[in-house]
Amino acid sequence: MAISELKKRQKIRKRITAILFVLPALLFLVMFVAYPVFQSIALSLFKWDGAGSWEFNGLENYRKMFTTDRYFWTALKNTILFTVLMTCGEMFLGFIYSVLVDLGVRGWKIFRFIFFLPVTLSQVAISLLFVKIFQEDGLVNAMLGFLNLEGLQHIWLGEIKYAMWCLIITSWWIYGGWHMVFFLAGMQSINPEIYEQAKIDGASTLRRVFVITVPLLKNVWFVLIALSFILGFKMFTLVYIMTTEGPSFATVVLGTRIYRYAFWVHKYGYASTWAVVMVVASLIFAILYVKFTGYREEALAE
Amino acid sequence: MGKFRRNDLGGPFANTIIVIILTIWAIAQIYPVFWLFMSSLKPSNLVRARIFDLPKTLYFGNYDFKKLNEYGITVLVYLKNSVIVTSASLLLLMIVSVLAAYGIAKLELPGKDVILVILLVLIGVPVHALMIPIFYFFVRLNMINSYWGLILPYVAFNTPFAVVVLQTYFRQFPNELIDAAKIDGCGDLRAFIAVVMPISLGPVASVLVISFLAIWNEFLFALVMMRDNAAKTLPVGLMGFKGRYVVEWGPMMSALVLAIIPSIIFYFIFSKSLLKGISAGAIKG
Repeated sequence: MAISELKKRQKIRKRITAILFVLPALLFLVMFVAYPVFQSIALSLFKWDGAGSWEFNGLENYRKMFTTDRYFWTALKNTILFTVLMTCGEMFLGFIYSVLVDLGVRGWKIFRFIFFLPVTLSQVAISLLFVKIFQEDGLVNAMLGFLNLEGLQHIWLGEIKYAMWCLIITSWWIYGGWHMVFFLAGMQSINPEIYEQAKIDGASTLRRVFVITVPLLKNVWFVLIALSFILGFKMFTLVYIMTTEGPSFATVVLGTRIYRYAFWVHKYGYASTWAVVMVVASLIFAILYVKFTGYREEALAE
Repeated sequence: MGKFRRNDLGGPFANTIIVIILTIWAIAQIYPVFWLFMSSLKPSNLVRARIFDLPKTLYFGNYDFKKLNEYGITVLVYLKNSVIVTSASLLLLMIVSVLAAYGIAKLELPGKDVILVILLVLIGVPVHALMIPIFYFFVRLNMINSYWGLILPYVAFNTPFAVVVLQTYFRQFPNELIDAAKIDGCGDLRAFIAVVMPISLGPVASVLVISFLAIWNEFLFALVMMRDNAAKTLPVGLMGFKGRYVVEWGPMMSALVLAIIPSIIFYFIFSKSLLKGISAGAIKG
């Protein structure tokens, strides 16, 4: 009796210690992540200009967003377009980088270093730099001029046809190497003997890539699609600095609209309604991500 | 025959071709950054007129940031703010997340699998859904433009990723070492600080450098919180160059260099742990 009592006490003490270790992180997360998310969701049902009190509005914000706001469907379409094209291009680039780097050429570490470099840089700096690159008297037009292709020169960021593509190409430049790192990590976990066997069976290098590398990295593909979609839906910096939703709102996306509704025109409730759309999208992708990483099974197996 | 020799081409000729392709590609990839550095070392009129030329003589005039004060752009103040906010956030973040990761991985925490899944989902929460309530939280405290208004949320935003990555590492840590320390009379905290931490500096460094990049480069939230010119961090301050044709190209290029140089240095020093840590959260560890 006394011994079991002692054991019970010890167990409680151990649990308290464990909770104390986790407590600071939990406090931060509750105060600055969990609680604000719920506040935002609640705020999406109210009208609020930041000064007075919250004014209950029911689902009016949602009705307005889905039916009368002429930007919503354009922003959603643009966000999806941007996200899908960004993801496809990045994964394509990242996969090629990783296959080439994984071939074991000399100096592969230098190539890996260079391809990943843009991910580490400030996106504000990158955006301002690419404005100068795409500008009327910028680098792209100078190159076209140098090649005597003046006919192809454009004010890239100022024309409806090209502005979105400038953003997408910039995102490829940034994130191609990011995908490469994930692919490389996946490729490292493939048993080299599988390649050896295929070589003996007479499969060419390219064939080995398609028959072995691509299917064995199945999980990595899915993880990257999920992560890239989360990034794409949140996109703000490139758009805000390079085009500011222009020209003629051709590049308006969810991320920039939320900021402008909140901090330019002070419609905090309505901006939150838009933010809820983004949260829902992110949540779906995050759940897919958790599923593909296999964390849940691992955690539950213990 | 490194561990990367998995799918080789099987010939020196083919290998040379691959190296040539990779080299051309890498040069194209790095060129915008190279052009940025090069342009920052030329007088403004030459940046535009002789856009491809290497600087004939190195011109450091663009790095005299005081000249930009007349445009209301105080680069050195932004730099100071960025350094303060980033280092304070990183310090707090590491304390908070290392403790939590250890608690999840090694201590008897009830419901740890649920906590882990919640953390993974929280990684994806967009800052757009947090900034309005947090902004007003600090407005009410009269703390807009205060460093704390950035530091505390930055710690929270970066905790989920840090904890997830660190706990995968701590999980693999041998229990025998911890138990031995406890038999010697250490409590959990002492055992952790004296035994676990000294051998865990590698993973801690990789989380540290990833978080450094996230915080140093963060833009949207800082844009919301830091309104006064004296409080702006570098990314927000650089916005002063946006759409401004008055400011010449040269000084802007040098300010951009200043913003990216710390990232490049950190990346250069820690590239191994950084690249390892990036995929650690996603490829099951």
